[in-house]
Amino acid sequence: MVREIENAAGIPVVQIATIVPIMLTVGANRIVPGVAIPHPVGDPSLGPEGDRKVRRALLERALRAIQTPIKEQTVFKS
Amino acid sequence: MRLELHKVFVKNVSWGDETRIEKGTLYVNREEMLSVVLSDDRFAKADLELARPGESVRIIPVKDVIEPRCKLKGPGEVFPGFVGGMETVGEGKTLVLDGAAVVTCGPIVAFQEGLIDMTGPASFYSPFSGTNNVVLVVEPVEGLDQHSYELALRVAGLKLGWYLADRCRNAPADEVRVFEMGGPVDESARYPGLPKIAYFCMSITQGLLHDTFLYGADMKHIVPTLIHPNEKMDGAMVSGNCVSACDKNTTWHHLNDPIVEELYSRHGKDLVFLGVIPTIEDTRLAGKERTSWFNAKLAKMLGADGVVISEEGYGNPDTDLCMNAARCEKLGIRTVIISDEAAGTDGKSQGLADATPEMTAFVSAGNVNEMIELTPMKKVIGFAESIANLSGGAEESLREDGSMFIELQAVIGSTNELGFSSIGARWI
Repeated sequence: MVREIENAAGIPVVQIATIVPIMLTVGANRIVPGVAIPHPVGDPSLGPEGDRKVRRALLERALRAIQTPIKEQTVFKS
Repeated sequence: MRLELHKVFVKNVSWGDETRIEKGTLYVNREEMLSVVLSDDRFAKADLELARPGESVRIIPVKDVIEPRCKLKGPGEVFPGFVGGMETVGEGKTLVLDGAAVVTCGPIVAFQEGLIDMTGPASFYSPFSGTNNVVLVVEPVEGLDQHSYELALRVAGLKLGWYLADRCRNAPADEVRVFEMGGPVDESARYPGLPKIAYFCMSITQGLLHDTFLYGADMKHIVPTLIHPNEKMDGAMVSGNCVSACDKNTTWHHLNDPIVEELYSRHGKDLVFLGVIPTIEDTRLAGKERTSWFNAKLAKMLGADGVVISEEGYGNPDTDLCMNAARCEKLGIRTVIISDEAAGTDGKSQGLADATPEMTAFVSAGNVNEMIELTPMKKVIGFAESIANLSGGAEESLREDGSMFIELQAVIGSTNELGFSSIGARWI
């Protein structure tokens, strides 16, 4: 779906997912590593406040990634 | 370490006044056996049913299957951490009711449990269509959370497995099998010219009712470790998994691990069996990386020339599989993996979710998405409508006449990645 949105609609996509090797295998271009499979975009073990911080940081990183020009598959680790 | 498995062959199961085995028939005192679990106040109701090979019976939803075993001579007791204490198991004598099984069943714990048909098309695919099954059907008390329910049902199954074997402990064995082997240092010195092989037993350890236990320890919190193969035969590894039924390792599978048996049978002949490395499938990338580095390091420290790697489940664990193979191969340790495939109902999709060039030797255990037509059964033990919630099933799977059209993955043990299944391939 990530590739098709980029190919067909020309809209850049950033994928947040935990198991980065699979994203690389299936051909996602902009990858932001998620937290864990049961909760990729947050960390409930940190409590509501900590979880919110993690979510915000991930979202901001994803928004940065989507604006970054790339030439090859790129993992945005920070 | 020397372990004698005293196997008593079970050809039939029947209710009786006293739980015992006589001339191949396992007689079960229903009330006494039920009293073992009824003291648990987490169960509102509990009942026992019998299901024999060839009968028109469907058991659904099945959580775990346990082979009845007990220690005749220790140290320790089977299922350490649950039935037994923490003593190291794998030595002495263990009674096995070979051909019997305890099956745990109840209204759905989680969405991924399975079914057993005792006859018809599905019976080809599950080893438990061929065992004489004592089925525990429970209903939890209202409001019991899923984790407590899973724990209660897990422990109940293990206790009943021990109970049946314990009541038959004086029965003469039909076969005694001896498993004797030292540790990796001694055995490597004894057979210096043979290739040294370790076994990674990958286990689902992902929380949310997807867990495996080692001596009672929740494996998702461990780093990989080493056990003697005999320990597996005494129940060191226990399933707490509510996961897709086709390729989960039930406790019965761990007790009867065909990879262990095969490596054992060739030990000292054409290889040295170094031992079993129970390893995990983490939900975090860092966990998967840590685990694969640990596995390869352990194999290297043991002096392994090769490793057999079995997967449990599919999907994200395919990454663990790739990482384990890649790390070992990069250290010069050859690997072969055993896995099933999620290749779509037409079999045309990529079988694994991940891939790596180092993964060069692959044994496939079948396609979990293969569709299968199940004929109606005269009797259903459990809850037929559960199929709507099982992986491989859907609300429309169950027809009015009791027949079903499902994916193979709802049949328990059908694509088992230890290789304990009927599926094979041949060159044509």
